Amino acid sequence: MKIKNCLLLGLATMSLATSAALAGEDLDRVMEEGVLRVATEADWVPQSFLDDNNEMAGFNVDVAREIARRLGVEVAFVTPAWEVITAGNWNNRWDISVGSMTPTEQRAKVLNFPAVYCFTPAVAVVHADSTVQEIAELNDQRIGAVAASTFELYLQHDLTIDAKGALPFDYQINPGEIRSYPTSSAVYDDLRLGDGVRLDALIDAMPAILAAIENSYPLRIVGDPVFYEPLAIAIDRGDQEFNDELARIVADMRADGTLTTISEQWYGIDYSAAK
Amino acid sequence: MLYVDTVVAERLVHRPRFIVAMVVVVSLALLTFNLNDTVFAEILRPIIGAPDQAGWFGRLSIAFILSILFMLNIVVIGFLQFKLQLLIVWSELLLLFLFFFYGFELDFDFIRTKFWFLVTQGVFTTLYVSMVSIVLASIVALFGAVAKLSSNGFAYAIASFYTSLFRGVPLLMQVYLIYLGLPQLGYVIDAVPAGILALVLCYGAYMTEIFRGGIQSVSKGQWEASRALGFKFGLTMRRIILPQAIPLIIPSTGNQFIAMLKDSSLVSVIGVWELMFLARTAGSKDFRHMEMLITAALIYWALSIILELIQSRIERHYRTQSH
Repeated sequence: MKIKNCLLLGLATMSLATSAALAGEDLDRVMEEGVLRVATEADWVPQSFLDDNNEMAGFNVDVAREIARRLGVEVAFVTPAWEVITAGNWNNRWDISVGSMTPTEQRAKVLNFPAVYCFTPAVAVVHADSTVQEIAELNDQRIGAVAASTFELYLQHDLTIDAKGALPFDYQINPGEIRSYPTSSAVYDDLRLGDGVRLDALIDAMPAILAAIENSYPLRIVGDPVFYEPLAIAIDRGDQEFNDELARIVADMRADGTLTTISEQWYGIDYSAAK
Repeated sequence: MLYVDTVVAERLVHRPRFIVAMVVVVSLALLTFNLNDTVFAEILRPIIGAPDQAGWFGRLSIAFILSILFMLNIVVIGFLQFKLQLLIVWSELLLLFLFFFYGFELDFDFIRTKFWFLVTQGVFTTLYVSMVSIVLASIVALFGAVAKLSSNGFAYAIASFYTSLFRGVPLLMQVYLIYLGLPQLGYVIDAVPAGILALVLCYGAYMTEIFRGGIQSVSKGQWEASRALGFKFGLTMRRIILPQAIPLIIPSTGNQFIAMLKDSSLVSVIGVWELMFLARTAGSKDFRHMEMLITAALIYWALSIILELIQSRIERHYRTQSH
């Protein structure tokens, strides 16, 4: 439901009008403009980042390009802060988020999740010098995570994933202190300073961790993944036709192996289905 | 310069007692660091031996030599002309600063590949956003100042509410409020205009106070005299008051301009690809954040230096005019 205020006859008289987005409105707009505007991050290797030619690249970017191709429109990327995307109420600034978003209950109140396109393991990570060997040893430690991410919600024991096919999980960690960061690279940079310098551990998505380790970050994954998160594309609420069209496209991409191909291209692993 | 008199006194830095005291203090300070393993120890290597053997003898010798060099430098600079002093101290501090960065083992090739992109995309957007904001904020401030000095209760109330609100709320929050809040009122604003609007309103509020102070510092007699000559408000303001107020306003306004240049980085949170945003993202693929952050820091600094120079030019212009 969108609330629109109309400014009438000067400052003093302001009338409130409420209207729901019309069915098919968003889809029509995308087709009419011929551009699918995608909100995603520019700071998250290998999901979405600026490549050597300063163009957007990565797993999410390729998924978004493929969705746009199948819709028959051009693609454009915008990079607002994560909490601006998850806040919903996009007001047509962009049409879709392909940004590894986990469809949680709270988010479902402000956004629609047409389809899950990927399942990534979330892992606990320590500095390479750390003596920690098991996840249980992370209790009462200082643990970092991206603010407003599922990793932070997991640490706060407040994570509900209500997507189809999500695997059940337990809260295995009771952190002493949760430290929140604006981006995942900021969390990594604080942990790499040394074991216990600013952080004792962090929780983040496995693909990003593996990429960091490959770039000689002194990090080590502890134990098995703490949970698997389904990652969905998100759209603003209200347009069921747009929702169904995107669900169909992603289902096709999974069925014909496109998602597997893109996943293996960027991760070397097929994350397109739950284990 | 505060005040130049003709009293001849011995310089503090040329008094033997002060020099000896400083050598001792600096030596003690340096002694707390173990420099045996650093580049400073290399010249003394034949005397103090390998880093692991040098021990306290090594530390003491290095600290002593370094502090003597340090004081020698200060004593020599003390003999020089003002301009030469300025030049030497600036170069020395700059070298120290670059030496500090050099210690990070930066990848200069990577910086070279990204530098042009930082300038064409990042610096361009930063300058564009801050220049537009500076101009608009000055206009807002002029009106705000006049309103705040007005005897009209309505104008005063609006202006004082405005300055109070926008000085009292963090700029970052204003950026969010405008970008996320205005659409709730039915007006969807793009990221760049939202950022500019926030900067204009916030800096307009600060500059309102600066302008008000400048205008108020012009003595009452000037108003009375121009009124006696039959000048109306607008003419008095333009020809009598502002020409006297502007030289007083310039230094603080220049400060605001420099601060604005850097605060424009806050609009990166709504996804504007300006310098700060690119500094955070351009290095992420290769995990080279330090390189990009330092490069962007130096670019911001260079831009600020340009603004400082412009400011001092304008100040000099008004100083020569008034004498």
